[in-house]
Amino acid sequence: MQPATATPEHGVGREARTAGARIAGVVTCVPADVRRNEDFHSRFGEDAVADVVKMIGVQTRRRAAADVTTRDLCRLAAQRLMAGLEWAPASIDALIFVSQTPDFRLPATACALQAELGIGTSCIAFDVNLGCSGYPYALWLGMTMLQTGAARRVLLAVGDTISKIVDPSDRATALLFGDCGTATALELDPDAAPAHFILGSDGLGATNLIVPTGGFRDYAASGDPRLEGRSAHSLYMDGGEIFNFTLRSVPPLVARTLALAEGRTHDFHLFHQANQFMLKHLIKKAKLPPAQAPLNIEEFGNTSSASIPLLMTTRLREPLASSRQRLAMYGFGVGYSWASASLDVGPLRVVENIEA
Amino acid sequence: MNTFYEGLAEILEVDASKLSPEFSFADANADWDSLAIVSTIALADDSFNVMLDGKALAACEKVADIEALIDAARHRNA
Repeated sequence: MQPATATPEHGVGREARTAGARIAGVVTCVPADVRRNEDFHSRFGEDAVADVVKMIGVQTRRRAAADVTTRDLCRLAAQRLMAGLEWAPASIDALIFVSQTPDFRLPATACALQAELGIGTSCIAFDVNLGCSGYPYALWLGMTMLQTGAARRVLLAVGDTISKIVDPSDRATALLFGDCGTATALELDPDAAPAHFILGSDGLGATNLIVPTGGFRDYAASGDPRLEGRSAHSLYMDGGEIFNFTLRSVPPLVARTLALAEGRTHDFHLFHQANQFMLKHLIKKAKLPPAQAPLNIEEFGNTSSASIPLLMTTRLREPLASSRQRLAMYGFGVGYSWASASLDVGPLRVVENIEA
Repeated sequence: MNTFYEGLAEILEVDASKLSPEFSFADANADWDSLAIVSTIALADDSFNVMLDGKALAACEKVADIEALIDAARHRNA
């Protein structure tokens, strides 16, 4: 886990292209429990809450009950999605669960979801451990599986319940994150326009956003002074480092994604909802019209890998239900890991947000 | 430096006319906290297209210290 000393040459990322696959539908599921900023006043004080909120821009966030996990939110979303699309469970060939909050260290949550959803045993199911960058990665992986013929229908279960790993006394993270599980249906479509992806990683940033203990290596024992006096099982975030990483990495990612669009313009740009101040800065720096870069962090907080599909169901529901939209998506964060996707989406038969 | 001073005045919540290189955050009772620091990173990026380091900014005591970081970063870019 010790950072290497040599910094490899910093490229924007691997560029990949898939063809013959499309998104058939998206359902997101948020817990019904709404946490308002006032709910944090007694713990942190009104002024301290206001200081953090001025930066992160979160007014409300959703919180999963103690006995509800990411798997449950994803299952509910998937059930609604399959019903809406009239997809028989037996017709799903692959299920990928992308999350940093699985049910167990082992086995993989994707296997539990396969059984719960009644999908047959001839199903490719596995977990991917990614957070903020997870949604474009999941699309790339699922569309690649379709293109190779390994699967004809793929279900992506993407989301997190970060509220379960934040230290309730750490205002920087306790106020920022919200819970959400999502399900996205992918299927073969010979007429689909190619989708473009850029995918990158920089593990030198691993310790800047980390749960130090709970896996099989104890980073809490490393002597990193930033972790002193903190709960080793809770999420640690070095906000300044993450901010610098984002400002350094995301503008080139956006620029390269636009360059790969083959002269076509995007109708909407969906940024991972990391932090409102940072997002506004990124959108301004990229010279994107704010109306084409919707936000929902004020309502749902930072929902990790679920933030991009949650934008689709809460901010773009009508346009995606009625017509075809060219979308650019940008995920970036924990890892460090980042990815973009550029593809046509819609009209979608199912695109909705539900509550659990 | 004008737009930079205006932005910095907004971040520090002081009148722009009061800002000078010798302006000291402690003397003026201005909050040089994590919010001010990330806002300044964004401001320097906007104004001069340079990336300042958060830790170095946190160690700044007066406006001239920030300006020195910006000059060093511009020199690196050049």
